[in-house]
Amino acid sequence: MLTYPQLSTGALAQFPVKKRRRSRTVVNAAADGSRVAYADPAGATIEWQLAYSDLSDAELAALQTFHATAEGSLNGFTFVDPTANLLAWSEDLSNPAWSRAPMLSATAGTDCWHLVNSGAAAQSISQTLSAPDSYVYCFSVWVRSDRPASVTLTIGGERATYAVGNSWTRIWLTRRGVTFGIELAAGAAVDVRGPQVEAQAAPSQYKTSTTGGVYENARLRDDAFCFTTTDLNRHSTTVNILYANHL
Amino acid sequence: MFPKLKTNAVAQYPATKTIRYRTQALRFVDGAEQRYREWAGPLGRWTIRLGALDESEMAQVEAFMVEQQGRGGTFAFTDPWDGSVHANCSLAADELVLEWTGEMRGRTSVNVIENRS
Repeated sequence: MLTYPQLSTGALAQFPVKKRRRSRTVVNAAADGSRVAYADPAGATIEWQLAYSDLSDAELAALQTFHATAEGSLNGFTFVDPTANLLAWSEDLSNPAWSRAPMLSATAGTDCWHLVNSGAAAQSISQTLSAPDSYVYCFSVWVRSDRPASVTLTIGGERATYAVGNSWTRIWLTRRGVTFGIELAAGAAVDVRGPQVEAQAAPSQYKTSTTGGVYENARLRDDAFCFTTTDLNRHSTTVNILYANHL
Repeated sequence: MFPKLKTNAVAQYPATKTIRYRTQALRFVDGAEQRYREWAGPLGRWTIRLGALDESEMAQVEAFMVEQQGRGGTFAFTDPWDGSVHANCSLAADELVLEWTGEMRGRTSVNVIENRS
């Protein structure tokens, strides 16, 4: 499927970003002030307004090509929410969204998860996203351990190992790939919290997540693509993207 | 329960509170009128403008909107003026606009209405 282009920095958007969530509810309001409400989850829509400034010629060309390939609002594409944690169930490592090796246990603690590898080989917990594999992603997580240990972060086939001490430290890895894993060596026990994946080069503040942030079959809202050239190799434009559950 | 900010506050300045009554007025030809209460008592409405949120607080507000399915859900709301808990409240709109103007600078606005229990 067609994917929305990243900027040369690896970011998907610049500030300001505006996001508009709409749901559909039928409300029957009675004269006494009481009400009966029926939610319609299938009618929900999300709209993003991405304002770009100081785009290079190459970045503008990428957006123009994308707009032409999508033929305006005609064709759907995969859009990765630049404001969201892309992982699903970031606060619940026992959720089926996570794939856990058999000898790795995950037990909930106070504001964290306790991972123990009781096997004789390295074991990992991972999540695969239905996101574009051409993007650069930053996978970050907070870790600590009562005794010195090491943790390996993996993105696809890429990996990096970090030493873990007894204070909370945020570790992160930036690579291309759509499977994100935390690997523990044999016998290791580590506390983790706040796993996060973002389509950018470095981590931002942690955001809790349940549904993730990958939207397949999003559309451009507008058929027209308008941009302004403000100087040599400098352009600005605004892109509106729409995602509707029912489309 | 409506989400609290990291500071444990519910709202930021400026915040608006409305106390609503509903009255039926019948006017007669001679200019006299009779008035009736339509509601058994007043209901509250709060406008929570959040102008200085970080990314995790923005995510928290957005997750609350998703959980509530817009106007569809009900929740308990703590009045930021007097700390009283109003057990049966709803979001007033099916739309939530979130704007990130910079790193750790997000803003949004939420309207909460009290329902008759």
